Amino acid sequence: MIRPLFTLGGLAIAAVLLALALGSVNVPAFDLWQVIQGEGSALNRTLILDLRLPRTLAAFATGGLLAVAGALMQVLLRNPLADPYILGLSGGAAVGALLAMLAGMGTLLISGSAFAGAMLAILLVFGLAHGTGSWTPSRLLLTGVVVAAGWGAVITLMLAITPSYKLPGMLYWLMGDVSYARTPWPALVVLVVSIVLIMPLARNLNVLARGPMQAAALGVSVRPLEWTVYLFAGLLTATAVTTAGSIGFVGLIVPHMLRLVLGNDQRIILPASALAGGTLLVLADTLARTVVAPEQLPVGVITALLGVPMFLYLLHRSR
Amino acid sequence: MSSHRLKFRIALGLLILIVVQSLSAGEIQRCAVDDAGQELCVAAPAQRIVTLSPGATELMFAAGAGDQVVAVVAYSDYPPAALKLPSVGNHTRIDMEALLALKPDLVITWVTGNLPAQIELLHELGLSTFAIEPRTFEGVSGVIERLAILAGTEQEGFVEAERFRVGIATLLERYRNAEPISVFYQVWEQPLMTINNEHLIGKVLQLCGGVNVFGDMPRLIPRISAEVVLQADPHVILTASVDGASDDQLDRWKSYSTLRAVARNNLFFVPASPISRPTPRLLEATRLVCETLDIARERF
Repeated sequence: MIRPLFTLGGLAIAAVLLALALGSVNVPAFDLWQVIQGEGSALNRTLILDLRLPRTLAAFATGGLLAVAGALMQVLLRNPLADPYILGLSGGAAVGALLAMLAGMGTLLISGSAFAGAMLAILLVFGLAHGTGSWTPSRLLLTGVVVAAGWGAVITLMLAITPSYKLPGMLYWLMGDVSYARTPWPALVVLVVSIVLIMPLARNLNVLARGPMQAAALGVSVRPLEWTVYLFAGLLTATAVTTAGSIGFVGLIVPHMLRLVLGNDQRIILPASALAGGTLLVLADTLARTVVAPEQLPVGVITALLGVPMFLYLLHRSR
Repeated sequence: MSSHRLKFRIALGLLILIVVQSLSAGEIQRCAVDDAGQELCVAAPAQRIVTLSPGATELMFAAGAGDQVVAVVAYSDYPPAALKLPSVGNHTRIDMEALLALKPDLVITWVTGNLPAQIELLHELGLSTFAIEPRTFEGVSGVIERLAILAGTEQEGFVEAERFRVGIATLLERYRNAEPISVFYQVWEQPLMTINNEHLIGKVLQLCGGVNVFGDMPRLIPRISAEVVLQADPHVILTASVDGASDDQLDRWKSYSTLRAVARNNLFFVPASPISRPTPRLLEATRLVCETLDIARERF
């Protein structure tokens, strides 16, 4: 059970080291080792410690957050098409961020506004789906999809009325941009703490995946568990979107890829998602900033280009 | 007369520099205020300059500091020497690593064109930045002078700024009493965009005696509908294209035969880069627009 996690952990470390070495200026392994030890030329130190390390760690944290949130959503809604954004979270965060950009605020306030928007989105869907007392996954899903469409309309409106020179910044945020992240520590801390807190619930989640009736019959307190998981998934997604904008694909596909290889035990899938999601996004970000350098591509494009063939291959092999 | 004024300006500039040097502890301080209101002082002329907009590239060469530019961004296609310089990406997506690797001592940024988050990162990395965005003719000549001060190329830069100033003054004089003629300047076809009188292109139109039918709109680059253009019924419709060649951007108006501009065949194209960038080429662009409006005036 632990071995796949060790393999994934090794892959993650390798991906991070690769990301630190590669870029518009390639840093040979020896120089990289020097910088890690605290020496090395000033340029290499600035490149690696000030530019690449925060960016890579932010990419890893964001990928991990999205993948775990996706896995949780898929269990919660018992729907393989669920992803972290299905309940309108990214829409709310986007509206918050775009409003802040429209008002000309600084990066910190934009992030804060995005987080506030995400929280509002969670509460909105929660409140609306709660309705007359009982909420089922399908009711939650339907409410979430409709609210997400509503956020989408607000975003479109804002893009239509914003002055032309502010558009590129807004569009890049919407496409997802890891270079936005100034510091990776909030995202990393949230990821690690969430994994630690959610692992004890993983066994119950396995039972819940069979259905609420069966779970209740087996002694799982379904409603509190669902609420907890939903709030966790929301927090993880909000943190991810606040850090790097709305990066798609990772949250949907990474849990599925892992399930094809490792089976559906949440005790493995959740930590594995964190590692694999982080690795995927780190590799995608490295490609995004090197493949047509000095032009910089949005990372969401690369995650899809990498992930789609990988997923189709795994799907094919699992037959 | 003007060369006297020019020599006076150069002398004044050098005098200011000498005075500042005698006041400061030892090294000569070159200071200039950028278009965001920040003052930048450099101890020595900047030798490794990176320009983060095509306009800044042109202005740097105009200031005589082309040899001191080490990197540009995409679309820095003028003067031809700039094409040989390495690029650090796009004005909205800068490759920070490539920029850092060049060890620049001055980065020329674009107030509204570069993304604020990237400018913040430049500051965090300790790079000196100078933000430019000329909005008037005097702004263009002023920015050439300020860039020349920072790069230590006052001789060439002040001359070029003066050439631009004199050229604009001459055009102003020639077209001071030109008969007003209504103009619609089409920035983009889909969505339909134009400019107001605050925009540099709006000022070009005003100098030539053109009356921008959307000049009083509150936004700098308003997005409008075809209906308001039909309602305004301008005498001239002007747009920019590559090298000023006719293309299909104005075809949509040809179906409205009631438009005066269409009836009199006053649909004109001007070269895009000279009129869109706040650089010395704006002088030639203004001259061309004024002559174009004169052609339209003959068709009153």
